[in-house]
Amino acid sequence: MWRLFALLAVLVVAGCGEPAAPVATTGFNDVDVMFLQMGLEQIKEGDQVAALAERRATASEIRALATELRDQWRAESGIMQRWLLGWRRPLAPDPDASAHAGHGDLHSLRPSDIAELRAARGADFDRTALSLLLGHLHNCVATTRMESAGGAYPPAKSLAESMTAARKQQIRKMLVLVA
Amino acid sequence: MRRRIALPLLTVAAVVTSFFVAVAPASAHGYISSPPSRQANCASGAVANCGDIIYEPQSVEAPKGSMQCNGGGTRFAVLNDNGKNWPAASVGTTVTFNWVFTARHATSTWEYFIGNTLLASFNDGGAQPGATKAHTISMGAFRGRQTLLARWNIADTANAFYSCVDLNIGGGGGTPPPTTPPPTNPPTTPPTNPPTSPPAGGTWAAYTSYAVGSVVTYGGASYRCRQAHTSLPGWEPPNVPALWERT
Repeated sequence: MWRLFALLAVLVVAGCGEPAAPVATTGFNDVDVMFLQMGLEQIKEGDQVAALAERRATASEIRALATELRDQWRAESGIMQRWLLGWRRPLAPDPDASAHAGHGDLHSLRPSDIAELRAARGADFDRTALSLLLGHLHNCVATTRMESAGGAYPPAKSLAESMTAARKQQIRKMLVLVA
Repeated sequence: MRRRIALPLLTVAAVVTSFFVAVAPASAHGYISSPPSRQANCASGAVANCGDIIYEPQSVEAPKGSMQCNGGGTRFAVLNDNGKNWPAASVGTTVTFNWVFTARHATSTWEYFIGNTLLASFNDGGAQPGATKAHTISMGAFRGRQTLLARWNIADTANAFYSCVDLNIGGGGGTPPPTTPPPTNPPTTPPTNPPTSPPAGGTWAAYTSYAVGSVVTYGGASYRCRQAHTSLPGWEPPNVPALWERT
């Protein structure tokens, strides 16, 4: 809980650039901005795993799933960037937030995890990729559900809904694959 | 100077507060994915009507020391329900348990129980898990249908993460489960202090599951639940019209 607090504090203060900005009133709020910034960061992080899985997984189901995920992420991130640019908000959470690596939703995929995945072979690669992707998609769902509950900008909320639904299906497929 | 600091802090406080009113805390961390734990079976759709756990199988976090599948309390109490038709994974007498993580906390120990028997314990001495974590454990003399409880004890908090895994322990690895009924002792129920049953009425309380139609009182008024949910502090009926309708 504290970690989340700390993370939010950093995101909110740093993400807005100017500390004193009161709650935005023009159709979007801080949760919308946080969703887009965190979402873009999560896509960037998750794509490292998906890109490797798409090329190297032994099981064709995993490769197909990685391709599907990457296609969806590409489309989603295009929309997300457009909104942030339109609102004149930074695309990325402040780089200082990386001080919180390992503390929750952002940066939960550490460089060492990617390195372990790169080093894994065969069935071990598949198992590691699924495990990392599952954990990562759960974090993505936490962020999209945050937007559904607290966002204000209807198109962003509806994007979050469809992202939650898509990730939920992908999680189901992966849980069946690892079971 | 003081004022300059105070305003951003207030802004943060306001945002954070409204955030928590609106959103379940994302207390994310880890669970057993294979053989599938109860929360994994919920998230994969193998078991229906599990409630919110489908979105966060990694969040079964509670104070250390519980022997219940949900770690005690009323959150995710569905996981304690042995009457639910949990599929049991067919396994041999040695089983490898794989974890999925959304945050890799410094770990004191991993513990695995069947009933009150501690099958295995691993001391990580405060290390963080790597990309994956697997433990291979002997099931000892346990056979047939059993519910295993795993506890991931965090080194730097008072909490643990709980995962129950339903198993059908047989002899030969991939062999199908015996068709004979399981031993007459009913499947090991993880020792239960039955979770406080969700009040259908009474005074509103946090960390309680409410079904659609439940009626509670709060602040002298009476409210009817419009959407099944597990309540959290800040979700008092007058604050969340989406969940509670004043009657």
